[in-house]
Amino acid sequence: MNNKKLRVSFSVLIRVGFLSIITIILFHLGSFTIVEKYIVRKYRLDLTNSALLAKREAGTLVANQKFSQKWENKKMTLAMNVQNLRKTFRNGSSVKAVDGVSFEVKTGEIFSLLGPNGAGKTTTISMLSGLLRPDNGGSEKSEILIMGQSLLSDPLAAKAMIGVVPQDIALYEDLTALENLTFWGKMYGLKGDQLKKRVGEVLDLIGLSDRAKDRVGKYSGGMKRRVNIGVALLHEPKVIYMDEPTVGIDPQSRRSILDGVLALRNQGMTVLYTTHYMEEAEELSDRIAIMDHGKIIANGTHDELIQLVGQKTKIVLTINTAAGQIVEDWKRCEGVSNLLVDESSLVLLVDDSNIVLPRLFELAAKKDVRITSVDIQEPNLETVFLHLTGRALRDA
Amino acid sequence: MKSITIALKDLTRSFRSTFALVFMFGIPLIVTGMFYLMFGNIKSEDTVNIAATKVVIANLDQGTTETGQLGKTIENALSGKNLSGIMEVSTVASQEQALQMVNSGSAGAAIIIPADFSKSFTDPEKTVDVSFVSDPTLTIGPQIVKSVLRQILDVYSGIKITIAEAMKQSGGMDQQQITALVQQYMAGMQFGTESSSLVDLKTPTAAPQKNMLATMVGSIMAGMMIFFAYFTGANTANSILREDEEGTLQRLFTTPTSQAEVLRGKFMAVGLTVLVQVIVLMVAARLLFGIEWGALSNLVLCVIGLVLTASSFGILACSLLKTTKQSGVIFGGLLTVTGMLGMINIFTGNPQGSPLGIVPLFTPQGWVARAVLSTMSGDSLMKILPFFLGMVVLSIVFFILGVWRFQKRFA
Repeated sequence: MNNKKLRVSFSVLIRVGFLSIITIILFHLGSFTIVEKYIVRKYRLDLTNSALLAKREAGTLVANQKFSQKWENKKMTLAMNVQNLRKTFRNGSSVKAVDGVSFEVKTGEIFSLLGPNGAGKTTTISMLSGLLRPDNGGSEKSEILIMGQSLLSDPLAAKAMIGVVPQDIALYEDLTALENLTFWGKMYGLKGDQLKKRVGEVLDLIGLSDRAKDRVGKYSGGMKRRVNIGVALLHEPKVIYMDEPTVGIDPQSRRSILDGVLALRNQGMTVLYTTHYMEEAEELSDRIAIMDHGKIIANGTHDELIQLVGQKTKIVLTINTAAGQIVEDWKRCEGVSNLLVDESSLVLLVDDSNIVLPRLFELAAKKDVRITSVDIQEPNLETVFLHLTGRALRDA
Repeated sequence: MKSITIALKDLTRSFRSTFALVFMFGIPLIVTGMFYLMFGNIKSEDTVNIAATKVVIANLDQGTTETGQLGKTIENALSGKNLSGIMEVSTVASQEQALQMVNSGSAGAAIIIPADFSKSFTDPEKTVDVSFVSDPTLTIGPQIVKSVLRQILDVYSGIKITIAEAMKQSGGMDQQQITALVQQYMAGMQFGTESSSLVDLKTPTAAPQKNMLATMVGSIMAGMMIFFAYFTGANTANSILREDEEGTLQRLFTTPTSQAEVLRGKFMAVGLTVLVQVIVLMVAARLLFGIEWGALSNLVLCVIGLVLTASSFGILACSLLKTTKQSGVIFGGLLTVTGMLGMINIFTGNPQGSPLGIVPLFTPQGWVARAVLSTMSGDSLMKILPFFLGMVVLSIVFFILGVWRFQKRFA
């Protein structure tokens, strides 16, 4: 065979080569849309309190019970001590995401960070997880102690104490639940029989033992959510972080998650919970820190926070006309400390509703404004937020 | 230890992806397989299975008394049994008839031997042209016929040179001497049997000729393997960005596992995946297509070089990206361009010594291609070594840059 023949062959090769390259590019471009599929917003969680209790009765959580008793004796010791966290993001302009946040979490309690979107909760929890390093500077030095271990000076030792449940599901969808749990267990330092035992226990706990060998990608949203929580429990952490675990899920799944959180607390685990839902914080928390614009503006038990409002009452009024006509008159009215115009109503914080309400009716009548409904509410965390910031929690 | 766990997890994920499997193994083997099937079974035979080309000869040679009809000997040579598998020869009386047959498609090629073909042998100054006309729609068959014809004419050129040289040395020859010389030469010359030739024509000594098709399919396979190994390297390294977007990378950083260990595991996964791909492709190509990869020691160096450069280049390419959505364009462009340039010699059949031969060395793929082709052609270890060292240096540079960018990103 001579060179001519080879050249003919190579000319064919060039054509095939280019064709295959175009195919590669097309396939390659197409492959990246797959990433979008991982973003799942609808979750269900069946990690119910009753299910957990049943497991306890069956004796599968003996280890946790012992752990619970052990920490019961140290109830008043600190699980977390967070001092002076600061974080500024510089992306063209400087944004202070977290500005001098300090708080303490006692062992065995549920501590909630409550605040509107953008308040700095996730940035705070990212620093507490070791994902972001707090900014240096300022008069006081930052410190994060978890069960006495400094996350800043000895991050690996401190990280061994925590289990993090991220807001979005963070699992390998092409691996089975068993493979996922085994992998994450190894990452938490478990090995051998201990790893096998814990993986089995967690599979039982999340009720997926019979589907352990199915790929996570084939699971329903609720099942994925259970595995997502199960991963954080593998190494029996002293403290568990849950970052807005109920965002974007249906009410039934939310109920399941809340029950699950209470069950974890009942086992003696310390829970750091972030949310922007007032009701969740009220129901779950032993103590609550309210965050706004990167700062903790109030911190205490539910009752302590309510006391900040004093004797004030929240009144929600609807009127038959545009709010602009009456807002300024009502703001100046004696006894009204805050007034917020909502979409279809006006929210007022008043000293004594029995005295202030007739005045509001009188002023409305003068402006020929008809009040169509009145709702007098007991002070709650929403009232506290309104009192402290002048804004509604959900709209802040 | 944890880095090995991360690497094995990534390896498992890679080999569970149908997309990855097709690109890692399917396409390189399919493309090579297409060439393999196109040219027949090179593993078991050394011949080519191509349909015989119909050749028509218009032998117009009038001959001379000294030489006889030399044109007839060309006709006989082409009609010989040993060429019957390549061409079917028929004769016509005129040039017009021969051309008409090619034009009508009833012949694939025509050979026209001029009237003064034999006469040209007695006149050292005279040159004649033997015409070869072929159907332009046919490619391989007529090219083979042309090649055979050229070889035969080379022999006749040898006779002509011999006669001219003899005439020069003797200071002129009469008809009898020329006739005797030509007949003596022709008697001993049976296309390959030149024991009694007056001129001993020797070709330069060279390494034993290998099966050309095996060499060609082998180089195609090598090119495909290198080309796709780089895609695998980049695609596996891209899992760092994918995990970042899926949130699993952040989750890894919340475990008591250092960032260095996580990144080490990810990088190890890239190298392991490319290594598995290369080994599987080499073994499969050997078993399926009978491709000879060369000496094992040289081959080991080539594989190490390929794995190192493909992995580090992939890591560097990924470190330049912000999201996986950018990777389609960047990988498609960067790897295709560097891949094509790196294997320009394979794709165009350009010899390495030509001016274009240096172009591949501006790309990492080019260094690997040189080393692999060199190994396949049986070059010594010392000849491979410079290419191997070049690959190691490139890998170190790519790796340092890539790791530096990733560490900066996740700091």
